[in-house]
Amino acid sequence: MPDHRSGRSVAARPRKNRAVWLYVIPVSAVFLFVFVGPLIYTAWTALHETTYYQIGKFSGLNSFVTLFSDPNLASSVGITIVFSLGALVIALPAGLLSAIVLNNLNHFKRTVRSLFLLPWLLSQATAGTMWMWFLNPDYGPGTAITEALGFGPSNVFSSTGGALVAVTLITAWWSYPQAMLLFLGALQTVPKELYESLRVDGGGIWRGFANVTLPYLRNTIVSVVIVLLMLYVQMVTIILVTTRGGPLRGTETLSMRVFNEVFQQYNLSGASATAILLFAVNIVLTLIAIRFRRKESL
Amino acid sequence: MTTTTGRGRGGKFIRAIPTWLYIIVSAAVVLPPVAWILSTSLKTPKDTIQFPPRWIPNPISFAEYAGLFNSTNIRFFINSLAYAGGTIVLALAICIPAAYVATRYRSRRMEIVMTGILVLSMVPAIVVFIALYSMFVKTALVNSYPFLIIVYAAIICGQTILFLRNFIENIPLEIEEAAAIDGCSRLQILWRIVLPLIRPGIAAIAIFIFVFVWNDYLVGTVLATTEDMKTVQNGIVRYLQTGYGAFWGLFSAFIVVAFIPVLALFSAFQRWFVAGLTSGGVKG
Repeated sequence: MPDHRSGRSVAARPRKNRAVWLYVIPVSAVFLFVFVGPLIYTAWTALHETTYYQIGKFSGLNSFVTLFSDPNLASSVGITIVFSLGALVIALPAGLLSAIVLNNLNHFKRTVRSLFLLPWLLSQATAGTMWMWFLNPDYGPGTAITEALGFGPSNVFSSTGGALVAVTLITAWWSYPQAMLLFLGALQTVPKELYESLRVDGGGIWRGFANVTLPYLRNTIVSVVIVLLMLYVQMVTIILVTTRGGPLRGTETLSMRVFNEVFQQYNLSGASATAILLFAVNIVLTLIAIRFRRKESL
Repeated sequence: MTTTTGRGRGGKFIRAIPTWLYIIVSAAVVLPPVAWILSTSLKTPKDTIQFPPRWIPNPISFAEYAGLFNSTNIRFFINSLAYAGGTIVLALAICIPAAYVATRYRSRRMEIVMTGILVLSMVPAIVVFIALYSMFVKTALVNSYPFLIIVYAAIICGQTILFLRNFIENIPLEIEEAAAIDGCSRLQILWRIVLPLIRPGIAAIAIFIFVFVWNDYLVGTVLATTEDMKTVQNGIVRYLQTGYGAFWGLFSAFIVVAFIPVLALFSAFQRWFVAGLTSGGVKG
């Protein structure tokens, strides 16, 4: 606390501080151009009729009425939730376990770390298409495995349920190293003495985990959950390169729906309405993230 | 103490079992698709579509790699390099000054600006992209290097500033104060004192930006509308959507080649890589 205060007081140092703002102008200009402008434009197009990319006359909240009366919206929201929570439920424990394993490892640390990080070093496009080839119903090893086990070919992308599961798993596969890295950073702040005193008291690995690691990581877990949820809610690439939201819209999350509304249905005002809904979800997640960051730094 | 080590040796071995079990299971989940791509890339085109699949290519052929050398693919690589290089320069040029004043001249208004930048950089990329696309599709901006570089830089700025702030905070204030007493202006302090001191941080974030741009698929898909402006990641997917079916061999070889720069950076700078990601990430 006192450190923080003294850091603050440096700012109060009497100096001509007006010129300081010159240093922020370039980044602000870029943000106005890339974020603020497009957000205003999105709101504008949502409130107007559009044909292709031409903005027509004012239509009020019509595009939102259309959006919320669309029976596909509920399924899109449902798919987003299943996809995000499904990937989270896998990536979070996998990331935490990987981080703990890495942190306790004495030999081959670099090799194992590279192994754990590998999916995330690949691009999303690579991860998606790579698994698609692996699971190819005609020639992929995935099919060889499922046929050897007595099931048919691994035609996962042809059914809505199978495609959603596959896309979710691929996303979890790609993203768990991100959780791992965040946990790894936090684990290094856990005082080693606590484990040692626990060991002297005869506590095992599990007690060390439950009584030391988890309480220490509580805030980190929350921020990792938020980081991952944001990633999943915004995820387009992995879905785009594998299923494009299909089959039968079975993997069309809100983000994917925005993409498809623009590039397949050329319905800009509809896409903008969906985008604003997506943005609202994102704001909620952002607010939680900021709240927890404050807590962590204070 | 002796009793604990005596018990510890056996215990250590037993305790290591779950760890290595976990590592083996991870390897079994992580490696197969990667190995499969590597294997496919080394097969002859005929062998890529045989069933049951064979893991070891026989004969080993580099024909698919040779087949990648054409002007379209080279253009993809040049484009990605240009986008990545441009983004590194632009993002650093606009983020270093901002990160500096945000760390050293804290005020309520400055915090508001920084929070604004952070919140905005969390806006879903797809929302911004479709708006930018429909705003500029009829102009010459779409499909131009500067436009894509600005978009990339804006997306990565939030993280870059956070990351740089951590580094600048670690510089002892006394050094800067001494320079100020000696008559250095604010810009001179930033240029002559702060910049050399945060060089490792700049290198780490530059690597991070490179990998981010190199691995991005969406910007190239939405904001580069003609083939000659697309990126390496678009090139990978292109072999699956040719209209003549999928070219699995070329596709696999392309993945391997596209991964080489990232792998090279990762192996050369692994420590920076990981340090950069962890320190920037928890707070971001």
